Parts: sequence; C-alpha cells; structure tokens
Amino acid sequence: MQEGRVLPASVVNRDLLSSILTSPRWFWFALLVLGLIVLGGFSAAGLMVNKGLGVTGLNRPVMWGFFIVNFVFWIGISHAGVMLSAILRLSKAEWRRPATRAAEVLTVFSLMTAMLMPLIHTGRPWRLVYWIYTIPFIPYDFARGIWPNIRSPLVWDPSAVYTYLTSSILFVLVALIPDMAVLRDRTTGIPHKIYAAMSMGWQGNPRQWKLQIIAGVLLSALILPVFVSVHSIVSWDFGMAVAVKSWHSTIFAPYFVVGAVHSGVSAVAFVMIILRWIYGWQDYIRHEHIDALGRLLIVVATGWFYFFVMEVIFGFYGREADEIAVRELQFTKPPWNLWFMFFTGLTYFLPVAMWLASSWRRNLWLMSIACISVNIGMWLERFLIIVPGLAQKQLFTFSWYTYAPSAVEITIIGATFALVAMLMILFARVLPLIPLYDIKEGEILKTEIRIGRRIVPATFRED
Amino acid sequence: MAENAHHSEEMWVFPPAREVTEFVTQKTFSMPGALTLAIVGSGALLVLGVIGFIMKAAQAGFSDHSPWGYYAAMFSFVFMVTSTGPLAAAAFRITKSHWRRPLSRVSEIFGIVGVFNILLYIPLAIVLPSLNNPEIVGHELDVRRSIWFEGPIGSPFWWDLFGIIFLAVNAVALLWVSALPDMAEARQKATGARRAIYGMLAGCWHGTKRQWVIQKGILALLGAWYFMLLIFIHFTISSDYAQSLIPGWKDSIFPVLYSLNGFQAALGLILIVMFILRRFGGYREYIGISPFWSASKLLLAFTLLWAYHMFAFGITFWYGRLEVEQNIMKYLLFESYGGVFAANFLFTFVTPFLILLWNPVRKTDWGPALAGASALIGAFLFNIRIFVGSFNAGHLYGEFLDTVPPPVYPGLSDILMVIGGIGGAAFVYLLATRLIPVISLWELKEGLLYQRMGTFIRGRYLILAKPE
Repeated sequence: MQEGRVLPASVVNRDLLSSILTSPRWFWFALLVLGLIVLGGFSAAGLMVNKGLGVTGLNRPVMWGFFIVNFVFWIGISHAGVMLSAILRLSKAEWRRPATRAAEVLTVFSLMTAMLMPLIHTGRPWRLVYWIYTIPFIPYDFARGIWPNIRSPLVWDPSAVYTYLTSSILFVLVALIPDMAVLRDRTTGIPHKIYAAMSMGWQGNPRQWKLQIIAGVLLSALILPVFVSVHSIVSWDFGMAVAVKSWHSTIFAPYFVVGAVHSGVSAVAFVMIILRWIYGWQDYIRHEHIDALGRLLIVVATGWFYFFVMEVIFGFYGREADEIAVRELQFTKPPWNLWFMFFTGLTYFLPVAMWLASSWRRNLWLMSIACISVNIGMWLERFLIIVPGLAQKQLFTFSWYTYAPSAVEITIIGATFALVAMLMILFARVLPLIPLYDIKEGEILKTEIRIGRRIVPATFRED
Repeated sequence: MAENAHHSEEMWVFPPAREVTEFVTQKTFSMPGALTLAIVGSGALLVLGVIGFIMKAAQAGFSDHSPWGYYAAMFSFVFMVTSTGPLAAAAFRITKSHWRRPLSRVSEIFGIVGVFNILLYIPLAIVLPSLNNPEIVGHELDVRRSIWFEGPIGSPFWWDLFGIIFLAVNAVALLWVSALPDMAEARQKATGARRAIYGMLAGCWHGTKRQWVIQKGILALLGAWYFMLLIFIHFTISSDYAQSLIPGWKDSIFPVLYSLNGFQAALGLILIVMFILRRFGGYREYIGISPFWSASKLLLAFTLLWAYHMFAFGITFWYGRLEVEQNIMKYLLFESYGGVFAANFLFTFVTPFLILLWNPVRKTDWGPALAGASALIGAFLFNIRIFVGSFNAGHLYGEFLDTVPPPVYPGLSDILMVIGGIGGAAFVYLLATRLIPVISLWELKEGLLYQRMGTFIRGRYLILAKPE
C-alpha cells in the first residue's frame, strides 16, 4: 500500500497554504528572537567597521578566519537546491516533490548570506565599489595603481556566485508561478494584487503548463554547470595558491562540490523535518521522503569521504617538509587533532552509521542529529582547511602563528544562521515552501498494481 | 505530463514470461556461425599477443620497466574496462533501477575476464621498479614517491597482485550468486556434460523464499564491497603504474579521473554488447530501448564529469606555474603526447557529448552504442598517453621532472601485445557466454511483474511498481 493518505487538491491547497493564510503565535515570537540575533550580528559588524579589523582574531599570517570559513560553508549549503531540485527533477525521482522548494529557497538565502561574508571580511565594505566600478570622482585606489586582478580566482568568485544566485532566483520564480496563481485566487486587497502580478496571468491552460515544464527542465539543465562552477571556483580561491601548503591540490574542486552537496542535502533534510514539525505537514513530508534523503546521503557522504582520503593521502605523497608540517599540525597537535577527529567523526562516521539502518533513517530525531552533525562537521572541515595552512604559510617557523576568533566574529557568524532561519520563515509566511502543483501531480500519477496476493504501490512514468 | 504522450513501440519490451527461459537457454546452448568466427578470431589475436610478448621478453627482458609501457597501457585498458563492467549490475541493482534488468548479466560476465587480468598483471609485477633507489646519485630520492610511503612488506608488488586477485574473486562470486537461479533453470533444460556442469554450479538452489532472500542480501553485500574494492584497486594501479613513475607528479585527482574513465568506458562497452545482442543476436524482444536511453544519460554524466575533472587538474597545474607541473603538462598533454591527448579528448569528451546531447539520439540503440564506442577508444588513448608516458619518463628517483622526455612509439611486439591483450579479453568473455545466459532470466521475469503498460487519460504509459 502507498505510504500516507490520498490527498485531494482542495486538501493540498488548505494544508500547504495554512502557513500563509493564518499566523500562528510562535511565528511572531520566532521572528522576534531571530530578528534580535540578526540585529546583534549587524551591530557587531558595525562595531568592526568602526574600530577596524583589530577587533577580530585575524592577524598575520592568518588573515582568513571565521568569515571566510562561513562564506564557504554557506556556499556549500546553497548546493542543496540544485542537487535536489534540478538533478532529481531531471532524473524524475518521485520522492523529490516535497523537498524541491525548500531546497531552492535555502539556496537563494544561503547564497545571499554567503556573499555578506567577504563583504564584512574586507573591514571596509564600501570599498567594494572600487573593485567593481571605475568611478572617476572617487579615484582613490586607482591613484595608487591598485586594479582588480581579473586573473585571480577571487574575481571569478563573485561572477560565479552572482550567476548562480540569479539563476537560482529564476528557478524558484518559474516553479512558483502556478502556486502564486492559487494564492492570487485566495487573497484580497494588496496581497491579491502582488500575487496577481507575480503569477503573470497564469490560468493553468495546457500551453502554459507545457511552457512551465519546458522552462523548468531547461533551467534545471542550464543551472547544473553553474552549480558545479560555483564551488569549484570557491575551491580555487585556495587551490590556486601555491604558497599555502595543503591548498594547492588538483582534487579541491570536486572535493568541495561533493562536500557542498553533502552539507546542503543534510541541511535540506533537517529543514524538512523542522517544517513537518512546525506546520504539521505529516502527510506531505513523510518518513519515506526522509528515508530516501538518508539513502542519498549515504552515497554522497561516501563519495565525499573518498575525495577527502585522496586529498589527505596526496598531501603526504609529495613528501614536502612544509606540507608535512601542516599535516602534522592537523593530525597530531592539540587542539587541531581533536578538531580533526571531531570533524571526521561528525561528517562521516557518525551520520553514515546512523543512516545505514532503515529504522534509524525513518526516526526523525535521529535524522535531525545526523544532519546537524554533518553540518557541524562540514563547518569544521572548512576551518581545518583554511586556518592550519595559513598558520604555517611562512617559510620560517618563527613566523608561524595561530588564530582564535573574537566575540565579534562569533556573534556575526551566529547571526548568519539566524538570518537564514528568519528569511526561511518569512518566505513561508508569504509563499508555500512545498510546491502545491508538484504534490498534486504526484498524487495524480500514483497508482497501485496487484502482484500475486499483494497490492504494490506504483507510479505512472511521465515519459 | 506531455499531452497525449505515447511511448515508442520498442521503449519497453514485455516478452511472455513463460517463453523467457526456453528462448534464452536455447540461445545459450546454440553456436551460430558468427559467434564461432568471433571466438576463433579473438583466440587468434590472443595467440598473436603471446607471440608479441615472447618477442618483447626476448628483446628487452624484465630488468627495465621502460620497454613495457605499451604492455602496461594495454593491461590498464583491459583491466579498467573489464573490472568496472560488473559494477553496472551491482550498482543499478542497489539503486533498484528497473531498466537495468536486460544489462545486468552482460555486465556481470565481465567478472570472468578478471581471471585473465590476473595473468596479464604478472609480468607488470615483475618489471615494476623497487621503491628504494638502488644507486643514489646527486639529489635523487632514496625512496621514490609512492602511495606506500616507506613501503610496507611486499609493496607495491604483492599488494597490487592481491588486490587484483581479490577483485577477480569478488567479481566471479558476484556472477555466480547472481546466476544461481538461472543455472538451476538451465540444469532442467540441458543434457549430458552441460547438465552436469550446470548441476554443479547451481548447487542446491531450489528457489525457496529463504534462498531468494539470502541471494539478494549476498548480492547487495558483494556489490557494495566490489564497488569499494574496485575504487581502491583503481587508486593503487593508477598510482603505482603511472603517477609514481613520473618524478614530481603529485596529482590527487588522477585516481578519480582513472575511475571515471573506467566507468565511462565500461558502460560504453556494455552498451556496445547490448547493441550487438539486440541487433544481431536475436534479443530484440528482450532488450528494449529503455536500458539504452537510461544508460545513455549516465554515459553523458560520466562524459561531463571526465571533462570537469580533467579541467580541474589542468587549471590547477596551469595556474600554479610551478616548473614541475608545467613540465608534466607539456609531457602528457601538450608536447610529447599532445596528439594522443587531443585524440583522447575528442573521443572521450567531444564525440560522446555531441552524440548524447540529443534526446532523440539517446532514445535509440545505435546512438548510445556509438557514443560508447567513442568512449572506449578514448579510454584506450588515455591509457596509452598515461602509461606509455609514465613508463618512459626516465629519471625515476629524481626530485621532479626537469626536462620533457620525447614520446615513445610502438614497435611490432608492442602492437601485437596490445591487440593480443584486447583479443584475449574478448575471447574469455565470448567463451563465458556459451555457459552463462547473457540475459539474467530471474531479473527479467521479476521485472515483468513490476512493470506494465496502463492507460492514463488518453495515453498509454508505463506503470512502475515499487515493492520496497
């Protein structure tokens, strides 16, 4: 028999629009708490701008710390959107349906948050204008002969990230059109006008459906290279630097991409569990969906682990004394070795052990723990890639130094998590986080067939 | 869903379940002329290969590894493709892809070639130079760079050999466990010596529920284990016989690239075999277009992944501007083996990509097979470029490659060994198909239970059951 109950279209509309058409009390409380944390983060950033980067723990030779770690982390989370939405859409995986929207939206918000990080990291964010535009009446940097080096991966980075952000927003909007038309028909006043404008005259006729499906498939295919390029380029921020030992590795690009997918899909699984809990969407986000995500994560995690092992082995393979010194720091010297053990345990061994048993994958508490564990581990991974390499970058050992984050950095980092959570619940307040039309389509395609004495769930294949 | 969409006639085939066993076993027992010719032809190539090997051994001996570059390339090509073959069956079975059913056995039979790979490997174990530098001169290393570092006992020779043996045993076990139910079926149909062989191979299989549960569990375990072992052996072979022979070549993406090339070429070869079976082997009613279509998407994915990994390697080396990396790029990509690399790129990426880009072409049997053939040629060129290059880089214990060595062209004995090795693998595979049905009877029949056509609004569509 099929898992879950049969869901008529009217029930789908009622359930999935409840987050928009009604306001639970917890919403305002959660918004207030998250808003205060975000405010705290902005205040800390303001303080940093006022006092200078001296209030952070950044110092020579470790000039990249928590901000850049967090930048890479959020870029990684953003990879969930395309992994789940585009790839599973192209491969026509039925279980993708409730997960796609949350994944796409998480992509957009995490990308936005990620881009704040380098901006804050500069210490004087307004100077970004010098990097991008030639403004004759503010010739400060150019007067000193400082020009953006377009051959630097640091310049490729914003190009890739903004292309990904633009295409992700487009991807979300195209998928939202039919749902916005449903909202247009159920609202009045200003919201009605906004939804009407955003649904762009959607009537749900066969031609519009055909165009919407083609646009979705095309965008899915086109966004894939962008998705791969983004984290590859982020990895090349490090991989191209021959001076920092442990960074110049050919495997960095796919290693970063798979790691990003690992953390991103785990984040989406966790977000789905939270959505199921706070909005009571038990009929939509079912155990079978979380189970499928768990199985996918075993494959992704193992792929990531393979790349990780290759990266480490070939770090030692070169037998270069300065690289061995960095590896020794990572593996043998406290507290780095403890962090390293935590990182491998949290990213691979603990979650994969939990995902191996079907009953554990279907236990939402255990799945939540596993997914959070992955993301803590992946955050640590970026930290352990960036900081030890920089700490021992210099040729002479007396120039080696370490890094400890300040309260300002910790506050800002904490605020980014609150910011993404706040943006997600705000989005859920105005637009459905589970695509209505996708769920309805899935319901239509469901069927059952008899094999011997058993009734077995089945689906009509779309092609 | 597309309006009024109908499936093409041959996308999914539903042969009558009652006739499957009769038809496939009859095909297995028969010996058509074309097949006889293919077996004799591949056997003749194997003999030529043996002659080439004797010539090379007489000319060059086994004390220096350099003259054996083409042999290493041939071994790596045959090993890379045939050892990856069984993975298709194992992986798609674990992911419960229904379209895999007609190709499962085609891929599993490559496991038998693993035994041939062990024989092919032995000369390479003999010629591989020691990790320790026997005569240190100037700035040379006392132990050359290797994934075995300080060298545990017997490394790399014995460990590589054990790895290849374990892999072959695992592949044969996978094939045997998978073919048990089919052997039991064939036991009922066969007579004489053939019946005795099937009786022995089928053991006490009676198809009880318990036996089915155990068989499926063992297949899943063996499949997962095979995958991990394969990736590990790809890593050791690609590192010991390529990377560690070029001084200063430190490239963490290379084992991944090697495995990807193996996935792509093995899937390509499976598609070619399926195409031959469908078009010329009389299996049209048993192999629809669906496995070609689905496998072609994966082939496209592997093609793109290969290009991506190649680019990641290239740009990191190019951007770093280190002399050693520049020299390695000149040697393997642009100067010495520049022509081979261009052809490798054309056949491994450009051609399959341009073929598989088009959905109507993917929905044929010839399109994916053609792309598969191109991938196979590309994999061959990849191995020539890498292994001939590595075996002839010279300066084995040097700190790094300070000059760009010239290319090495094949002699007559090299050509004979290459065609002999490939012919030998084909010979073993073809012989195995005389005993083991090329279509997995039980999987095909199981698939017939789970798939059927149904009416949805105004069109006929496939209904796919998901029992688990």
